[in-house]
Amino acid sequence: MTALIELTGISKSFAGVRVLQDISFDVRAGEVHALVGENGAGKSTLIKIMGGVHRADAGEIRVNGQSAQFASPRASAASGIAVVHQELLLFPDLSVAENIFVGHAPRTGWGALDWGKMRSRARELLDRLQSQHIDVDARVGALSVANRQRVEIARALSQDARALIMDEPTASLVEEDVQQLLAIVRLLRDKGVGIVYVSHKLPEIFALADRVTVLRDGTRVGTAPVAELDERKLVSMMVGRPIDQLFPKQETKIGAPLLEVRNLSFGAVVRDVSLTLHAGEILGVAGLIGSGRTELALTIFGITPATAGEILIEGKAVRIESPQRARDLGIAYVPEDRGLQGLVRPQSIQENISLTVLKSLATGTLIDHRKEEKLARDSIAKFGIRARGPRQIVRQLSGGNQQKVVLAKWLATEPRILIMDEPTRGIDVGAKSEIHALMSALAARGLGILMISSELPEVLGMSDRVLVMKNGRLVAEFDRMHATAEAIGAAMTLAKAGDNTATDASGEAA
Amino acid sequence: MSRYLVRHETILAVLLVLALIVLSFQSDRFFTVDNLLNQGRLMAEVGLIALAMTFVIVSAGIDLSVGSILGLVAILLGVFWQNLGLPLPLAMVLGVVAGGLAGLFNGIIITRFRVPPLIATLATLALYRGLAEGISQARSVRGYPEWFFVLGQGEVLGVPTQVWIFLVCAAVAAVVLGLSTFGRATYAAGANAVAARFSGIPVDRTILLIYTASGLISGLAAVIFVSRVSTTRSDMGTGLELDVITAVVLGGTSIFGGRGTIIGTLLGLMLMQALKNGLALAGVKGDGTIVVIGLILIATIIISNLVRRETDG
Repeated sequence: MTALIELTGISKSFAGVRVLQDISFDVRAGEVHALVGENGAGKSTLIKIMGGVHRADAGEIRVNGQSAQFASPRASAASGIAVVHQELLLFPDLSVAENIFVGHAPRTGWGALDWGKMRSRARELLDRLQSQHIDVDARVGALSVANRQRVEIARALSQDARALIMDEPTASLVEEDVQQLLAIVRLLRDKGVGIVYVSHKLPEIFALADRVTVLRDGTRVGTAPVAELDERKLVSMMVGRPIDQLFPKQETKIGAPLLEVRNLSFGAVVRDVSLTLHAGEILGVAGLIGSGRTELALTIFGITPATAGEILIEGKAVRIESPQRARDLGIAYVPEDRGLQGLVRPQSIQENISLTVLKSLATGTLIDHRKEEKLARDSIAKFGIRARGPRQIVRQLSGGNQQKVVLAKWLATEPRILIMDEPTRGIDVGAKSEIHALMSALAARGLGILMISSELPEVLGMSDRVLVMKNGRLVAEFDRMHATAEAIGAAMTLAKAGDNTATDASGEAA
Repeated sequence: MSRYLVRHETILAVLLVLALIVLSFQSDRFFTVDNLLNQGRLMAEVGLIALAMTFVIVSAGIDLSVGSILGLVAILLGVFWQNLGLPLPLAMVLGVVAGGLAGLFNGIIITRFRVPPLIATLATLALYRGLAEGISQARSVRGYPEWFFVLGQGEVLGVPTQVWIFLVCAAVAAVVLGLSTFGRATYAAGANAVAARFSGIPVDRTILLIYTASGLISGLAAVIFVSRVSTTRSDMGTGLELDVITAVVLGGTSIFGGRGTIIGTLLGLMLMQALKNGLALAGVKGDGTIVVIGLILIATIIISNLVRRETDG
């Protein structure tokens, strides 16, 4: 059987740095071929070569057995290859139908847009994706992330794509939507579409893929049918060394209460939350997106000061009306959105790490640059940040290393309470286990860690206790013994027994 | 900071040297001590405001109202002294303070009411100019005492007084922006205000202080302006903001914020003034000079963007 797309001996360099070396890769009709590797392994570049964004320096691309040259994304699309990007490239102010047909809208004999045809074909395409609930006239900006993604897939299909490349499609989806997306991918596969599936999430790969290709440092480590692999084997192929345990939370002695929150509220998004975080404890917070998890963190950290309730630190009542105050009280917050909230990406590692502790690095008002550089060097060594030096621009680092910079800048404040919001989102397996090990070590030193995460395995593996939020409220609490994926999943989505439905309905309306 | 800035400044320095060489061949009056000192005198007002404007633009803002603040303070100086009969030194101080209040007002509109700086200061550009015209009723104030002219027309150790003031302010600005915690907060706020806030940087207070400083220094420039031209008129400083912004952007400060230096602004100022003066001496008309400055501005930005693309990797 001939492959839909077949790459042989592909190499590519940027400014003298080799990012791909002699890569061979193919995808056949009716299969899901997963492409995995750590950040920086060359997956994105390979995808971009298939999508016509970059041109290979050497090697050959064949489409349906015919040699092909992609001078532009348009040329690639014309050969039946479509890419669904990680950051969805939609126009939020246009309708669903308009987005699907941007650039290749059906036209009438007069050359005007054929709106009727556009809408009916958009309807057809969405129906094929079992997305009857999406209105073709809806504004895309008003749709949920999951629905926007379906629009993006419909757009790919509207160009009669026979090969679909999906770049981390589930990175920003919650568990429920992930399952639905996987169903759509299977559906497309069964209709004979060849799918290149890039993901960091190993369970998805085992659930979905027929074959797996592993890239590491720009070379192909191997391609194998998924049936011949297990998680352990795949991870060791990706990182080049075996990783013993993904979630290494050690048993630690749980100490005295560090942070007590009593009946805390912020408007309608955080309602009447009470919790206690102890020294040495990792307290997991689970919940769907929009359940108030992040909002709770923002309220404790003073970004959105509480409208009611009280916060106690080591038994003393405090008022936290700004992030400065929170920091001075020993609270650190590693935010959800690394690029927007966590880092000043055009600046150097050194400038990012010192940002939280400028005052203590300064004599009078002038920053002591030697102290600042030493802090950065120490942090790079301590956290194993892979960088050229303290002056390297943060934007150039991989996701995992950027996250370590965020951790470093907050640990420089010597906090007692660490709030981590999605601590390993979009980070490759190797860096993920390093961050987990670090969290565990911090807890062992007596820090209290409040960990918000959408990844249930992470919540289950790392937490001493798990809290579940829904509609701004805490709805369930499990200790390590009783926390299971089923129990937490149920608490996240269903109204808990005893949680009366009237409050729940009002929450939905709010 | 980064390699890019050094490079932009290197490009500017080379351009400045080239311009000086070419212009000195065009007219034998150009490269004389007298002429250069006189150019420093003419540059001081724009230069002073450009120092504050560097902070404003690095913080990802813009202040279009500086020319109007200059006009308003010039008028107030005359009113305080002549109409209200206050002693001139007190009138000078009050004038500068009024400038600071005008800047503070800009800052409050921007930080409290979240009005984009471009809109906020476009509005106050009209507002402050209108106030100046309303207060002055098209009358000019003259007859300042002799000692007052030392500031704008006098010399200290052979160098124009305002050049000394400018140099002191430039040194302070360079140290604050480049080396202090406040400067670092300015860069962080300009490059990513959200991340700065999440890191415990008082972003709003920083922005408020920057616009206040911009108003204060525009007030100081107004006093020097009045002293230099010996009279007060309400249309003083009209269009000045464009010269100031040109110098700052020419100096490599990114209009998107987060990047820029005082050294760059100084080079930008000198290049601009050298071109204006040199071309005038070489017999080029005013219109021609503006065209050349526009072209130089575009050329330096393109060159430094090209260099940057290569080093950014």
